[in-house]
Amino acid sequence: MKRLWRWLIPLAAVPVLALLAYGFRVSPRDIPSPLVGRPAPVFALATLEGAPLSLASHHGKVVVLNFWASWCYPACYEEAPVLERNWRGYRDRGVVVVGVDIQDKREAALKFVGDFRLTFPIVQDLKGTVSVDYGVYGVPETFFLDRQGRIRVKHVGAVTDDVFRVTVDRLLAEASSP
Amino acid sequence: MNRRRKFIIGGVVIAAALGYMIYAGVTQSAVYFVTPAELQAAPVPGKAYRLGGMVVPGSLKWEPRSLDLAFTLSDGTATVPVRHKGTPPDLFGEGRGAVLEGSWTADGYFKATLIMAKHSEEYKAPHDSNQAGYRELIKTLRGEER
Amino acid sequence: MTADLGYGMTLVALGLAVYGGVAAGVGAKTGRLALVESAQHAALGVFVLVTSCFALLTYAFLTFDFSVRYVATNTNLGTPFYYRITGVWGALEGSIILWSWMLALYTIILIVRHRVGARELYPWALATMLGILAFFLLVMTVAAPPFQRQVPVPADGRGLNPLLEDTGMITHPVALYLGFTGFTVPFAFAMAALITGRIGDTWLALTRRWTIVAWYFLSLGLLIGGWWSYHVLGWGGYWAWDPVENAAFMPWLTGTAFLHSVMIQERRRMLRLWNISLVILTFGLTLFGTFLTRSGVIASVHAFTQGSIGVLFLSFLAVVLLTALGLVAWRWEAFRSEGELDSVVSRESAFLLNNVLLVAAAFTVFFGTVFPLLSEAVRGVKVSVGAPFFNQVNIPLFLSLVFLMGVGPLIAWRRASRENLQRNFLWPVALGILAAAAAFALGVRSLLAALTFATTVFVAVTIAVDFTRATRARLRLGESILPAMGGLLLRHNRRYGGFIVHLGILIIALGVMGSHAWSVQTETTLHRGETAELAGYRFRFDGLTAVEESNHFKVIGAFTVSNGKVLGVLRPAKKFYPQEQAPIAYVDYRLGLREDLYLVLGDFARDGSQVTIKLQVNRLVSWIWIGGLVLTLGALLAILPERHKSA
Repeated sequence: MKRLWRWLIPLAAVPVLALLAYGFRVSPRDIPSPLVGRPAPVFALATLEGAPLSLASHHGKVVVLNFWASWCYPACYEEAPVLERNWRGYRDRGVVVVGVDIQDKREAALKFVGDFRLTFPIVQDLKGTVSVDYGVYGVPETFFLDRQGRIRVKHVGAVTDDVFRVTVDRLLAEASSP
Repeated sequence: MNRRRKFIIGGVVIAAALGYMIYAGVTQSAVYFVTPAELQAAPVPGKAYRLGGMVVPGSLKWEPRSLDLAFTLSDGTATVPVRHKGTPPDLFGEGRGAVLEGSWTADGYFKATLIMAKHSEEYKAPHDSNQAGYRELIKTLRGEER
Repeated sequence: MTADLGYGMTLVALGLAVYGGVAAGVGAKTGRLALVESAQHAALGVFVLVTSCFALLTYAFLTFDFSVRYVATNTNLGTPFYYRITGVWGALEGSIILWSWMLALYTIILIVRHRVGARELYPWALATMLGILAFFLLVMTVAAPPFQRQVPVPADGRGLNPLLEDTGMITHPVALYLGFTGFTVPFAFAMAALITGRIGDTWLALTRRWTIVAWYFLSLGLLIGGWWSYHVLGWGGYWAWDPVENAAFMPWLTGTAFLHSVMIQERRRMLRLWNISLVILTFGLTLFGTFLTRSGVIASVHAFTQGSIGVLFLSFLAVVLLTALGLVAWRWEAFRSEGELDSVVSRESAFLLNNVLLVAAAFTVFFGTVFPLLSEAVRGVKVSVGAPFFNQVNIPLFLSLVFLMGVGPLIAWRRASRENLQRNFLWPVALGILAAAAAFALGVRSLLAALTFATTVFVAVTIAVDFTRATRARLRLGESILPAMGGLLLRHNRRYGGFIVHLGILIIALGVMGSHAWSVQTETTLHRGETAELAGYRFRFDGLTAVEESNHFKVIGAFTVSNGKVLGVLRPAKKFYPQEQAPIAYVDYRLGLREDLYLVLGDFARDGSQVTIKLQVNRLVSWIWIGGLVLTLGALLAILPERHKSA
């Protein structure tokens, strides 16, 4: 019996390690935004091509709302191809990707869109009201909205294929209530 | 055995003293993290908070002579009026994230004793317009000298 | 091309390190020297490869090779030449390369120094070092690769973080890492000791100098960090109890404890378990420190970005701790039969108390640092504790430690007799109390300040007592005074090196106390020609100028300082880097022995007519840096090779 007490020594390290591992769960990247679960603030702006876009018109679809800027290097540059790729894959399944360009110049934004050959709708938040409505701290930040127009997930930092697919699949699988 | 017991007792005493000091220290300097929404829901005057949010554009008022700084902090859901004495740090500004330490006053505003502007790795000011801004600044400052 | 070459080299180095670690381990177990030699060659290969990677990366920096992503993120065409070299270790990936390079270097030194003469322990120590090196190379390959291709190649990079364009910021990580990685070697030998069962004095004797060197670099890194924080960041302080600062401080605390407790094991064969545990704890804390800085688990103004790197580090930390502590448990029996503590009033006791206090301080810092995590896990509420917590708990601990600095070296081993106590401590205690009284008479009312004075004088007098007594003994033998003193220092360099280090700590303690108790500050807005006053100094605002540099714009304020007569002009500035979202403030200051004048440029009117400034008069801060210099001299003296001690 006495021989076994000594093994408490290595075991003593376990609670500390567990606590540190817990820190990953509450990663500051997944900001528990108070907006999660609430209806997404609506807006109506013009896209870079001049067409009108209203968030309300996409009610019934899963919306991936991505806040970005042409000067946000390297993160926005990393996620642009991811967003475009997944937009093309999911657009026929009731999903729409909307980009919101903030604090940017029109020419720079157009160049970015051209460089990455982005085809999803992008609006410019010139007055900054949409960013304030969504509590955007910095770029990039992406909000995933469900079919009822509620914000379900806020992701800070570049979106990866994994994050996109897992979240969108989950939201698509939910039955749309009237 | 007797000596060993003395040392064990000594050890326990030291541990207890340390435990007490830590407990006292924690209770005296604990600072609670809240968002504007959480603060507005249940503000407690006098309690030490750390408030994180975004500075609402258009709300910033800075009076250099009296060193009074006033602005509104928002998290998209709720807003909190804030007052601070002294220049804010360089990273601080409208439309940017900030973390404040301070307390809620009975007069209905948050008195910030410390402003820590959020330094986000991706957040970067626009390349071109800043250049133009600085050139302007240099010109006006140099103009002063002539 | 560069990126691929670099990546390839990293992979090969990783393979070699893994092979070397295994070979050394198997060689150690089976006694096959050929395997151990093969491992040595592998280690050399790793060192050459990592050095080449470092050189390649530096070359990429110097030639603006933006096809390498790390280069594009950390320089731009305007970055000055000097900072293009030092910026290599300015961000996460570069810091891992630096760490790996130092580990590889230390491994080579270990091989050269210990391959002969530590027959049993050496192979296991080598295996451990290579294993740890392999981990860092793994991080370099998987989680933080410095050689990633950037496509499309941008025309210009983002630029170095302007805060890094400073001498202090460049040397700080180097010194700090030399300290952190330095503790790997004692840890490796401790593992070797546990594995072979030779937990006696051999591993200690081998690692003594390593420990002092690692401890010294860690101290230096902390001091430089404080200096940099003070003279660049513009908040007038040198230590904020920020999680990242704490992460470097904790291994320093346990490392200091270890430095002292080894002396007990050497002299009395006691505390062997304690020593091994301390080394494991210190090394674990260095890993914890790097985990904290890179994982983003605890919010800090210093923290780098997170990613998979946090998980990697935590996993490695878990493996290291569980293995090492498991070995301790396995060898538990061997730790029996130790010498016993004879009396509470003895040198052993003083050293033990020193250790307890240091570990208590380390625990406090640890507790305060992880408290937000703890409170969230337990109560679901995020609570943090700020500087007041750390100061409140640690100051009594540190003050007691300073007091022990005076007691330890002079008190007798085993059991101090009354005669011994009187002879050694009468004068120091008397003068200490006198010093407190004198301070009180001179107007000092802070209890903390009085206690600090009393303790520092007490310790200083004990050192003086010891030194005079020893010198007098030599004078009696016929030596003249200077050779007597010099001879003392050189012959007993460990002891007197230690005394000088203690003196350095005393000076630092006074500096910290002065800056805490007696510094004043104010903030005010001035029009051109107006004057602000603080602590007898007058600051007149003369005007603003603007200058354009290679990669930034600079706005400089001119302030004439006088205290009766004109002392000079202070020029605090603000630097505007186009790629940064906000200007960086550059403090200007006037350093002095008694006080520093400190001026920060805050807000200013665009036409230069009005400016808001923060003024500080900080007392005794310079003593902290002076104490650091003294500490350096002491450490250097202590590391000198031991002269043969004659009877």
